[in-house]
Amino acid sequence: MSDTDALPEAEGWVAPSWEQVVRDHSARVYRLAYRLSGNPQDAEDLTQETFVRVFRSLADFSPGTFEGWLHRITTNLFLDMVRRRQRIRFDALPEDTERLPGTAPSPEQVYADTHLDPQIQAALDALSPEFRVAVVLCDIEGLTYEEIAATLGIKLGTVRSRIHRGRVQLRQALAHLAPRAVVMP
Amino acid sequence: MTIPESHLAQEAIAALVDGELTAGPANRAARHLAGCMQCRLAVEAQREAKEALHESADVAVPGDLMSRLCAIPFTTDVPGSGGSAGTMTAGPGELTVTGASGAWSVDLHPHRRRSTPDHTARWLRRGLAGTLVGLGVGVTALALNLPGAAPVPEREGPVAGPTSPQQHTEVVPPVVRTLTVGTNTVLSRPGGTP
Repeated sequence: MSDTDALPEAEGWVAPSWEQVVRDHSARVYRLAYRLSGNPQDAEDLTQETFVRVFRSLADFSPGTFEGWLHRITTNLFLDMVRRRQRIRFDALPEDTERLPGTAPSPEQVYADTHLDPQIQAALDALSPEFRVAVVLCDIEGLTYEEIAATLGIKLGTVRSRIHRGRVQLRQALAHLAPRAVVMP
Repeated sequence: MTIPESHLAQEAIAALVDGELTAGPANRAARHLAGCMQCRLAVEAQREAKEALHESADVAVPGDLMSRLCAIPFTTDVPGSGGSAGTMTAGPGELTVTGASGAWSVDLHPHRRRSTPDHTARWLRRGLAGTLVGLGVGVTALALNLPGAAPVPEREGPVAGPTSPQQHTEVVPPVVRTLTVGTNTVLSRPGGTP
């Protein structure tokens, strides 16, 4: 993921440099932001804002919680963004609140950026944000239910139910997008 | 073997697929599944959705985003220089942030210069000068030497001078803001201000 040749030789413990932190974690944060937001512009903004928050609270950092911390910041920023836009949307578009395509990238662009099947990204985008976050953290980031509960500040039972319902919706969306892709046994 | 009358709870189905059920419930679920087509289909559907997502590859971070992320120490001011915030100290080529539970260093060595064009290094250096102004309250002593370049001048500031002002506002807006604080003279020359 990162090139190690630029790293200074480790002599005992050295505080990680900012560049090292960025190199080690930016791909994960950007991927998460992309999966959640579904487009490169929001993903970049979320990633940037996440690292700004990290930098501002470096002093509060405690080792061992760093990745969880990143997940938490990114997902919270995403949910904030979604809620902000929903408010704006309700004000601006009283009729069409169902879906707002906005500046969605083309499927080709999504694939070039993420290597994630555009239909799957489209299906993810169709999920409600709370379900999407739970499903992405579980199935793409590989977090345990307990980690997801801690990341989102919700109960374990809520995690389970959001993941279940999110996957049901995801599968329905996939079937809707490509009817032949999902075959009942 | 008796088949429990009630079907698996939805939460249990998700948890089963994710291996999140403890042994007892997992065994009970397995016994139920053996005799219940409906629940088997539900489990299969969860599994399909999970696998569809699972096979996603890594995403490459765009290069310009990477540069912006690396520049955050120079473009962001740290709030709360009083209170519970950690201390910041500067050593040769690095800025160290010491908190309650650890220390971080912000590497000021231009490691990335080989991969970034020269103007990046230039504005990094300039951004650094701006950051120092911004951090001036919290940082007591800053003796910075940038390798391969002249030491950051304390009194007169050609550092901020020669580059294009347009780039200045675009990349490091906090610098502009910190100018209002400016007791430090590093950026007081008008050259860096658009």
